[in-house]
Amino acid sequence: MRLRRRVESCFFMKRNRWIPYLLLLPSVIYLALFFLYPMTQAVQLAFTREGQFLNLRAEPNDTAVSTGALLLQTEVRIVERSEQQETLASGAQRPVFWYRVQAEDESGATVEGWVSIRNVFIENRRTSETARVTSGEALREFSLVHVNRMFTDFRFDDALWTTVLLIILIIPAQFVLAIIMALVLQSQPRFSTLFLYVYAIPLGLSDLVAGILWFAIFTQRGFLNSLLVNAGVLDLPFIFIQAGHLGWMIMIIVLAEIWRATSIVMVIIVSGLQAIPRDYLEAGEVFGASLWQRLWHIILPLLKPSLQVALILRTILAFQVFAIVIAITGGDIMTVLANETFRWYDPARFNNPNMAATYSVFIMLISLGVSLFYLRAVRSQEEAVQTT
Amino acid sequence: MTAKFRLILFSLLLLTVIAVPVIAQDGSTVTLISTQFNVVEEAEKFRGVLSGFEGGTVEFVPSEEGPMLDLVRAEAQSGSGVNDVIGALHGTYPTLANEDLLFDLTDLLATIEADYDVSDAYVELGRMGTEDYQYYVPWMQATYTMAASNEALQYLPEGADVNTLTWEQLAAWAKNMFDATGEAKLGFPVAGLFHRFLQGYFFPSFTGGMVTRFNSPEAAEAFTFLRDELWPYVNPQSISYEFMNEPLLSGEVLVAFDHVARLKPAFDERPADFIAFPAPIGPAGRGFMPVVAGLAVPFTSADPEAAQALISYMLSPEAQSAVLTELGFYPVISGVDMSGLSEGAAKQAAAVTAQATSEDSIVALLPIGLGSRGGELNQIFRDAFTRIVIDGGDIQTALDEQAAILQTLLDETGAPCWAPDPVSEGACQLESGM
Repeated sequence: MRLRRRVESCFFMKRNRWIPYLLLLPSVIYLALFFLYPMTQAVQLAFTREGQFLNLRAEPNDTAVSTGALLLQTEVRIVERSEQQETLASGAQRPVFWYRVQAEDESGATVEGWVSIRNVFIENRRTSETARVTSGEALREFSLVHVNRMFTDFRFDDALWTTVLLIILIIPAQFVLAIIMALVLQSQPRFSTLFLYVYAIPLGLSDLVAGILWFAIFTQRGFLNSLLVNAGVLDLPFIFIQAGHLGWMIMIIVLAEIWRATSIVMVIIVSGLQAIPRDYLEAGEVFGASLWQRLWHIILPLLKPSLQVALILRTILAFQVFAIVIAITGGDIMTVLANETFRWYDPARFNNPNMAATYSVFIMLISLGVSLFYLRAVRSQEEAVQTT
Repeated sequence: MTAKFRLILFSLLLLTVIAVPVIAQDGSTVTLISTQFNVVEEAEKFRGVLSGFEGGTVEFVPSEEGPMLDLVRAEAQSGSGVNDVIGALHGTYPTLANEDLLFDLTDLLATIEADYDVSDAYVELGRMGTEDYQYYVPWMQATYTMAASNEALQYLPEGADVNTLTWEQLAAWAKNMFDATGEAKLGFPVAGLFHRFLQGYFFPSFTGGMVTRFNSPEAAEAFTFLRDELWPYVNPQSISYEFMNEPLLSGEVLVAFDHVARLKPAFDERPADFIAFPAPIGPAGRGFMPVVAGLAVPFTSADPEAAQALISYMLSPEAQSAVLTELGFYPVISGVDMSGLSEGAAKQAAAVTAQATSEDSIVALLPIGLGSRGGELNQIFRDAFTRIVIDGGDIQTALDEQAAILQTLLDETGAPCWAPDPVSEGACQLESGM
């Protein structure tokens, strides 16, 4: 009997050891697949340069041994051609072309070997005598060329400082407002649920929608100008959004961001407020602390963990601010870091994934740094509370 | 009785389950993935056009360019796919052509040309610089024109005609509007397709070329004109304009430049209030840029024959005419009946024809040889504009620095010069010899 119990507990012990890991496994897989993998890809793109060499092959197929390598844009002479028909899944035929070419490699030596049509430009597949190397193999080499290009890009400084300025202007204002809103809700005035719903409306909107909304207010024929012109304050509409008016554009973005994203901070703070035991506040009241004293000495210190969470969340999101800037300013004259990422990636714009990745890695590093800073701040706060 | 009834019911049900897919299979489904008409309203209208195809049902999949390229590549790697026809702008095709993912449509084009005459210039674009491989069949074309509100016509400088407007006259017109209304009433889509304005209209009409004379004295003069004479009267809010139809309709601007499709909503909504006219003429001529979209068949198409049938249908006068009236893209075949156009569409069509057939026209094409790096060309032109006109930097310095970046791009891609620049052997070289 005793022995059996022992065996059982042993068995459970053994199983128990693995259960936490098993429970963690789905999220680990998820994170690895959708975060870690793209992240390593981005880092790789940012710090490597595509291979500039085309390997010539001993036989007309991709796996044959290399007989030499050519630089891109090298003009090659076609010595022999191979055209084979491949039958496709649909039953149709496709021609597969390989050419045995001769050219001088980087060192001036004459090399010869097979290349696929994918890697050369050729005017006439069947009769041309020459071709030009247009692509090479994904031979990546470590390179800081993208990093250098990012730091020397004439938009980089603008993008960085505008982003930082927006963070400095938006975040403190949001936190003050959010705390006030949360305290109002906490005091449960009449219609407090109504307040909650009104505060929460912007939460349901995408940032692009918020941007378009505020653009509609401040545009030349927008709501604000119509109001001012009709009221006789202005003779002509005032153009807020223009190249010379950086201050106005930043103000509009700040307003839009505060309007849109303050409620998420409020939600976090409300939940933090609800976790504060009423006894503390009542004790404060008994000792005659004013509202301000209670706020400063009881509520805010106890709220710090929630504030830190909200701070990390908001700052990381602020580094990614993008759609609002695009909607309000067009994103071409005034720019932010996340906008640069998008512009470099967009095939219709600069179409350079390496540069896009470099910018995104830069944003990631800043966000990481800021988060670490906040996390350290959290720890020191907790320790401070424990020691006093 | 009831048992027998049940049996009959059951067999009927079974028959439907088996028979329906068979019947559906009979009228085959062709999938068309397109970077064009990917806005909801446009997609709906285009589905209407596609319903006229008799060779089966067409599944229309609107997509962005990047995801479409990724999808076609992924299908090529797996060896089979669902997308039968690709519809995209010329600029999307270099990537697909370089990676050898598309059928040669030379034979299909020959059968189409037996019935209708397809624009030769666009057929050549569809060969992507080769002689014997038709990567895409031209599908439809568009371009950029000017548009003006009738209200603006009273400010037109004396002796000026919108159809033969020069850049100086445009500047004088904009100044007149500014002096009379106190507001800058000329607008450009700086947040939209403004780079096409610089590449296809501004540079060619002042320098006669797009890239070879990028930092020439003529280009410097052109930028002096743009900065000092034109831009002061351009609505400063232009930096946030993506589509010009909205500021035209709201009256924020009275004269604007944009893609015909992006001006179309204004002409649809209030056709009587607007006029369309060709781009202005500069010292070198009237630069203009046609935009060409093409149809191609990827090797992974499940049914290449149905795909080709759909392409033939899309080039028929009925389909070409429907695309023009419904969606504002112009035919690439000759002999399409344009008499049934609405008032606004007819105005736009007249401006497009006037621009293309004008004697001093300089046709500026999109580059073929830049491949997937065509976007960097846009950036170079935009950066020059921003540095000079917005930031007020020194013109020659900005042009020289951007020219160096441009020459590197041309050398690295080996792109030969394209129209309107003279044909080159090897990579295109700037005249300044950077």
